[in-house]
Amino acid sequence: MAVINFDAELKRAGADATHGWRRLAFLAQRYLLGTVGLVIMVLFVAMALSADLISRYDPLAVDSAHRLAAPDALHWFGTDSFGRDVWSRIIYGARISLAVGIGSTALGASIGVIVGLASGYLSGWVDLLFQRITDILQSLPLLVLALVMTAALGPSLPNVIIAIAIPLIPTVARVIRANTLALRELPFVEAAKSIGMSEMRIAFRHVLPNTLAPLIVLATAQLGSTILTEASLSFLGLGIPEPYPSWGRMLSESAAEYVRVAPWLVIFPGIAISLAVFGTNLFGDALRDILDPRQRG
Amino acid sequence: MLAYIVRRLFLMLVTLFGISVIIFVLLRIVPGNIVDILFDAAGYVDPADKANLQKELGLSDPIVVQYLKWIGGLLHGDLGYSYVSEKPALQEILPRIPITARLAGLALLFSASIGIPLGVLSAVHQGTRLDYALRVVSLSGLSLPSFWLGLLILMASVSMLGWMPIFNPNPRTWAEAFAIYCIPAMAVGFRSAALTMRITRSSMLEILRQDYIRTARAKGASEASVNYHHALKNAVLPVITVIGIEAAFLIGGLIVTETVFNIPGIARFLVEALRWRDYPIVQNLVMFIAVVVVVVNFTVDMLYAAIDPRIRFGD
Amino acid sequence: MRSVRALAVAALCWLSAYDVSLAEGPKSGGVLRMYHRDSPGSASIHEGASYSFNVPLMPIFNNLVIFNQHVAQNSVDTIVPELAESWAWSDDKKKLTFKLRNGVKWHDGKPFTSADVKCTFDLLMGKSQQKFRQNPRKSWYDQVNDVTTNGDYEASFNLKRPQPALLSLLASGYTPIYPCHVSPAEMRTKPIGTGPFKFVEFKANESIKLTKNPDYFKKGLPYLDGIEFTIVTNRSTAILGFVSGKFDMTFPTEVSIPLLKDVKSQAPNAICVVEPSNVATNIIINSSAPPFDNLDIRRALALALDRKAFISILFEGQADVGGTMQPAPAGLWAMPKEMLETIPGYGPDVNANREQARKLMQKAGYGPDKHLQIKVSTRNIPIYRDPAIILIDQLKTIYIDAELDVVDTAQWFPKVARKDYSLGLNLTGNAVDEPDQSFYENYSCESERNYTNYCNREIEKLFDQQSAETDPEKRKKLVWEIDKKLQEDVARPIILHSRTGTCWQPYVKNVTVMSNSSYNGYRYEDVWMDK
Repeated sequence: MAVINFDAELKRAGADATHGWRRLAFLAQRYLLGTVGLVIMVLFVAMALSADLISRYDPLAVDSAHRLAAPDALHWFGTDSFGRDVWSRIIYGARISLAVGIGSTALGASIGVIVGLASGYLSGWVDLLFQRITDILQSLPLLVLALVMTAALGPSLPNVIIAIAIPLIPTVARVIRANTLALRELPFVEAAKSIGMSEMRIAFRHVLPNTLAPLIVLATAQLGSTILTEASLSFLGLGIPEPYPSWGRMLSESAAEYVRVAPWLVIFPGIAISLAVFGTNLFGDALRDILDPRQRG
Repeated sequence: MLAYIVRRLFLMLVTLFGISVIIFVLLRIVPGNIVDILFDAAGYVDPADKANLQKELGLSDPIVVQYLKWIGGLLHGDLGYSYVSEKPALQEILPRIPITARLAGLALLFSASIGIPLGVLSAVHQGTRLDYALRVVSLSGLSLPSFWLGLLILMASVSMLGWMPIFNPNPRTWAEAFAIYCIPAMAVGFRSAALTMRITRSSMLEILRQDYIRTARAKGASEASVNYHHALKNAVLPVITVIGIEAAFLIGGLIVTETVFNIPGIARFLVEALRWRDYPIVQNLVMFIAVVVVVVNFTVDMLYAAIDPRIRFGD
Repeated sequence: MRSVRALAVAALCWLSAYDVSLAEGPKSGGVLRMYHRDSPGSASIHEGASYSFNVPLMPIFNNLVIFNQHVAQNSVDTIVPELAESWAWSDDKKKLTFKLRNGVKWHDGKPFTSADVKCTFDLLMGKSQQKFRQNPRKSWYDQVNDVTTNGDYEASFNLKRPQPALLSLLASGYTPIYPCHVSPAEMRTKPIGTGPFKFVEFKANESIKLTKNPDYFKKGLPYLDGIEFTIVTNRSTAILGFVSGKFDMTFPTEVSIPLLKDVKSQAPNAICVVEPSNVATNIIINSSAPPFDNLDIRRALALALDRKAFISILFEGQADVGGTMQPAPAGLWAMPKEMLETIPGYGPDVNANREQARKLMQKAGYGPDKHLQIKVSTRNIPIYRDPAIILIDQLKTIYIDAELDVVDTAQWFPKVARKDYSLGLNLTGNAVDEPDQSFYENYSCESERNYTNYCNREIEKLFDQQSAETDPEKRKKLVWEIDKKLQEDVARPIILHSRTGTCWQPYVKNVTVMSNSSYNGYRYEDVWMDK
């Protein structure tokens, strides 16, 4: 089951490492691709956090003298049709993409956990109701649901986060529910019950920690897809509104018009999206291998 | 078995009913309706004209009445009229279905024909450089936004060939038909191919570890026979599931791809109809998509059960 | 220069259009393939308010009179008869009578008569039993008492007071004659006209198809076998399609100046024409609520605008500065440059203007330490959004921190009507280069399209005065005065008048792009292809 035992896990992999650093070094070596993914993710996070320091221009500043300038020493990634610096916009765009990615994954996961725990632990009609809602949400394609949600809520950063988070809930809830159901039957839960622990307490103190591993695996896997969904929404004109430099928005309408005249407007934001998602996918893959050996490839 | 099927069918109906309520309510929460948009397009607002039109379209009825009218019509096969074109919604939706279906089918075909062999290759050569390379390629496939891929394809085909695939309902040549459908299908299918490959790889590895494979090996079956006959046959099961799940994901990819390639299928139509607040179109299209997804999932489950005797029908 | 060229083109086309015996005569045949920028809401021109309707639907119809399709600059002098054979004003200038053409047939074979003319205008004036779903140009006929007929081939417009501009309004692409025997609802889905092309089908978001009308009353026309509009909403896809030869022509006025370079480099043989489109980018101000109820702040806003910067960013320098009326030389009614530059904010020294603006802001209690926070609302469409981004950037220079508030099209009008905005970025298209149309529509107190509710009864009197003035020179002077006052009142600051490009493949002949309207030049009866 998903109860993690790192030491056993490492031993199984043939490592004789007890010290923290050596253990990390071993993991980094064994999961080289995952490490690369982690490095990419860390770089993007660092970029987002230090955007004020490393951007060379105000990402919103309009400059009529340098419109559609090709990449050069002044503007590393060129400028857009307003003369805004693409490099600075991509850096600030990292904030938005990560905010949406992390925000909606966290929101979706936390609601999913509550729903899943309640559904798996309480059973009965609560479970039945949650199960049906989950069914419903899973029968609607993610983008379709997000499209209707953003249209209903209006385009803004918090609303986009909510719109993308909601379709995540059932995926998380399903996994948590399945784990909870299995855990409920385990002896230590029975024991806790017999010493008079409250149901709530058992759920949060004993069951939840033990579903953490699959949760982390799932959340990391979803992180990439939320970033992609935000990009698609923005591309369709329903995501984060101008002038905020969202990567998807940078690729949409106005920029796409200049595909031929200024290809850098299409190439760099596209690379930024792909690279960020690629990083989370690599990392998520490795994480899955480590935490959830059943699924190991 | 029969009881299981009946139960599943009943749950399907419950799900579809829930979807119809949710989409109906969500749409009415969206600020602004068709009347606002029509008057926006006309550039003026006259409250009396607006009220008239609202009444004519049945938008001033209580929401429950509106819902019952819709569902009542739906049960009789009457989907109502598009607010924008004033034509029967069915007449607007039906001709677009084959276009999207063709795209989706081709995308799935593409994803299976690329994903399964590469997945097997990767599994058989687990841990080699080839395996690593294939895994990186498949992960990158999951990372590329399909609309970006589409844009790049368009850019490349115009710069290099001086030509691009623009949708034409009656392609004149085979080459044109190929370009119109296959190029966008590849842009969408790239992602599914990557996913299919990953699943094929991991389920192959799982199977290869199983006892009966060892037995087959011990009995002297050739390596190729073990890999491709015994293992692949069993590894295909999870792949089918994934393809089923992908059907829902595909719609998302199709929305952006149909936009980029200007293909008049239902996916783009949905976005346009949403923009116009054309409720009859949006509601019915979403229901159609939901029915497809639910039926595909059901079929996949049944198929799974039929192929794999280990499945018990208890839920 | 432009007008000379326009005249030359007009003369040439006039000849070629009707004299088929020219050495290089027009060829008949072929289907013109054009892309369309979006899906119009219906197929009824009278119910639309965008040239997304006029371009694909004008070829289906005829007007009583029409601006000569081959003179770029529309004016009262270029109006030619179409369904009318001739027209005459009564002595008191209060009655306009049209003699109608005999033997014209609707596409369904029924004869065209004066009853159809009456029906059309009764519908437009809201007098008939049947109603349009929407009637955006009702106010065009405010001065018309009624339309009367005299036999099958004569119709008269009886006016409340003289209004010379009426003839120009009737000559717009917005004013086709509809058949009496077809309901407004049918006209929205299957329009029937008398024009050179018949309607075949309109598939929303997909295509609009027209085919040749073999019984067109102008013998030998049209030359084309049909016109096919493919709806391509993604501009880059559309331009790629044109460049790769999938389309014979771009959607008129849809090639922006920056894109023009791309088209020219990729399709060097393509013919591209850049003309003013008579669409003005402007700012709507909510002067009924703080902070813009303060005239000082409104004036500061007007002074802060650097119109040159807008024009260089959005149009690479190819757009015009002016007041409400379209600037000369293409525009007929614009005030002279010397007069324009006396208006606050139009002076050439932007820094001096902004210095003055900052003083006004300080007077209102704002300064470097106390910025004014506002929102600039606009539609979620690039041509609206893009200028708003520049406006926000420019407002920074006068202590205003503005945030962009992007509004979905469905919510834009209700929001503006609720006065739930402080500044809005807006585009105003003028169907006819005619003061009656712009003044009444955008600035008169009761107009439905006067979004800002700017209301000045004194100026309104001047509107009526210029409208009834029959001496063109006197009228022009009055129009200049009014336009200047509107700008000084900061009623709806005009940022710029745009210019746009239209391109076609070299084998497409006889296309003329109008220079002071984007709504009137799409009859396409004598367009042909040398293929």
